[in-house]
Amino acid sequence: MTCEQAKPRMTDYWSLTLGEAEQKEFSAHLASCEACRSEVSRVGALWQSLDLLPLEEPSGKVRERFYEMLGAYRQGLASAETQPAKRWWTMPAWQMAAAAALLAVGLGAGYVARGNGQPPAEVSQLREEVASMRQLVALSLMQQQSASERLKGVSWSYQVEPSDTEVLNALVTTVNHDPNVNVRLAAVDALRPFTGSPATHLAARNAVVQALPKETAPIVQVALIDFLAELKERNAAPELRRLVSDPDIDSGVRKRAEWALERMQ
Amino acid sequence: MIKRVGIGIGLAALAAVQLGAQEGRQQITMPFRDPSMPRKLIVEGGTGSLTIRGYQGQDALIEYTGREIPGANNRRGGRNDPPDGMHRIGGSRGLDITEENNTVRVNSQGIFGGTARDMVIQVPAQTSVNVKTMFGGIMTIENISGDIEAENFNGQVTINNASGSVVAHSMNGKILVSLDRVAADKSMSFSTFNGDVDVTLPADTKARFKMRTDFGDIFTDFDVKMEANAAPVVEEEKDRKGKSRRRVRVDGTQSGTINGGGPEMQFTTFNGRILIHKK
Amino acid sequence: MAEVSAGQVARLALLFERHHRALFRYFVSMSNHREQAEDLVQEVFFRMLRYRTSYDPAQSFTAWMYQIARNAGVDQVRKRSAVQVVDIDTYVDRRAELVSASAGPEESASRGQDLALLRRAMDQLPEDKREILVLSRFQGMKHEDIAEVLGCEVGTVKVRVYRAIRALEQIYFALEREKVS
Ligand SMILES: [Zn+2]
Repeated sequence: MTCEQAKPRMTDYWSLTLGEAEQKEFSAHLASCEACRSEVSRVGALWQSLDLLPLEEPSGKVRERFYEMLGAYRQGLASAETQPAKRWWTMPAWQMAAAAALLAVGLGAGYVARGNGQPPAEVSQLREEVASMRQLVALSLMQQQSASERLKGVSWSYQVEPSDTEVLNALVTTVNHDPNVNVRLAAVDALRPFTGSPATHLAARNAVVQALPKETAPIVQVALIDFLAELKERNAAPELRRLVSDPDIDSGVRKRAEWALERMQ
Repeated sequence: MIKRVGIGIGLAALAAVQLGAQEGRQQITMPFRDPSMPRKLIVEGGTGSLTIRGYQGQDALIEYTGREIPGANNRRGGRNDPPDGMHRIGGSRGLDITEENNTVRVNSQGIFGGTARDMVIQVPAQTSVNVKTMFGGIMTIENISGDIEAENFNGQVTINNASGSVVAHSMNGKILVSLDRVAADKSMSFSTFNGDVDVTLPADTKARFKMRTDFGDIFTDFDVKMEANAAPVVEEEKDRKGKSRRRVRVDGTQSGTINGGGPEMQFTTFNGRILIHKK
Repeated sequence: MAEVSAGQVARLALLFERHHRALFRYFVSMSNHREQAEDLVQEVFFRMLRYRTSYDPAQSFTAWMYQIARNAGVDQVRKRSAVQVVDIDTYVDRRAELVSASAGPEESASRGQDLALLRRAMDQLPEDKREILVLSRFQGMKHEDIAEVLGCEVGTVKVRVYRAIRALEQIYFALEREKVS
């Protein structure tokens, strides 16, 4: 290998992306060439130090606007299934563009549907897309730093199919681990639809039973107790009895636990 | 990359420390590294009152006053007590202030030596604020246009002139919030166990309310379009003397929209009332 | 990304979560203008949605994304200038006008490198060199993908990356000497 051939391979060498054979040749050249050896170490240090430059972070607006755009797309989708959208003049221009882009697809599908009276394959496919899009939106919002965003993620979860175990799991994680009381409170409520689906009702019930002993905020404890009473969830009875007899527990919570036990009889 | 100010250790390094006339009154300036990037203030712990205020400047200004808590904690002659004829003008009181990635963190721990700390923190209005205290008194947050997350175990939470989003909780205190402006797509939530939830919103706010109170009423001067509710539940329960009686419960959460609806706002209290005012 | 073109719009959210930060950093590196960079990120994802059928599953997704990104950047400049035809070189040159005083001196970091100086050296690097360095070093793109974005041979990309880092080195040491004297 000559110096001219070695130089363009240096960045690969620093990034550890040289092939095995190339790596051998390159090392052999370095061993015999003082100039390249010193260049590799000097410029290599600079190459590595680029890692230390602070990274720019986008503001939260970028994400908001992106999901608004998807939302507009979804809205356009819904109206394409029935009638052309009604209130488009109220939408910002780019939202309208997004919805219009959709309509090009959606309307076409709608005409096919009316034409032959068959269930429109395209429309149902689009409906599936929208379902998994909602799932992604809910999942990604529930992982945000800001409590307001996570609340938004929790309310998105009402829009997924109640058989969606991924979203259920995310909600359960939120109920058990979210540092914010208000977010946990909202997530407890959001578990409700999942207790009605055959695919998820067991997991959802268990989640409520298991969350109660971990919870320390009275307002969330009460929400969990009410939920258990509503489900008549006998498995929670030992924990409810413990709450009733624990003098350190808020008296309002104790009374509510007592009431729940009676209601389960 | 962390700037750290340990009171009593790093004081000399700071240009902006002032010792006030009052005992233990100090002011500390902590700059945000990059004024062009989103800022965040995190406050944890704290024993006295806490005020966070948006202002025109660029830095976080932390001002605090120590005061003695009357009671058993003040054992005379302890290491933390002033010797006879002397008074405290400073020292390490478990206050830790750091800046990292444009986040200023104020950590005020415990009630060492029986001193409460009344603290006023000023930050640029466009700062996200996240405050959590266990033993604090009144918490006040004013003129903040970033996202606010506030949790006060014992005391009232007062938020004035907010124009970002608010997520607030108190266990025993009232939640008193006034918003100047409501962003079109922010979810908010206000909750307390034992206090009232009292929230003032601009008249043109578009929102969907989810409201729940177990032992209080809900009042508003907004024109709320209520959504169909679960039917009231008639329950048998026992009164204090063990006799059974009937009780009608409108179970769970009630929902409604204002101005055609919008992002969700949740209002929850167990023992208090919910008041939603039109500004 | 193959799924996007097959109509799985939902995947776009996943792709957004995965790539929007890198894309944002690319635009900031190229224009030094945060707001404009955010607009452009939005624009790129909108174009992906609109042109998703044009995506060839045989192609690298990252390469496709940066092709869209470069076009969006060019269009942005075209919109703002009276000149009708703008090529990519004009787009990257435009950055020179937009460069503002960059952030104050960074604290000097470990490994003896002065980051403030490094940042300034990056800013002074000619635009085409900065772009290729950003793509290969910050965005972690493979040389093959960069070749696809820039429309040249892989060998050419390697040579250009090498020249870019050497140019950065010269600027960096020039600045350092300036500082010392
Ligand atoms: Zn050589």
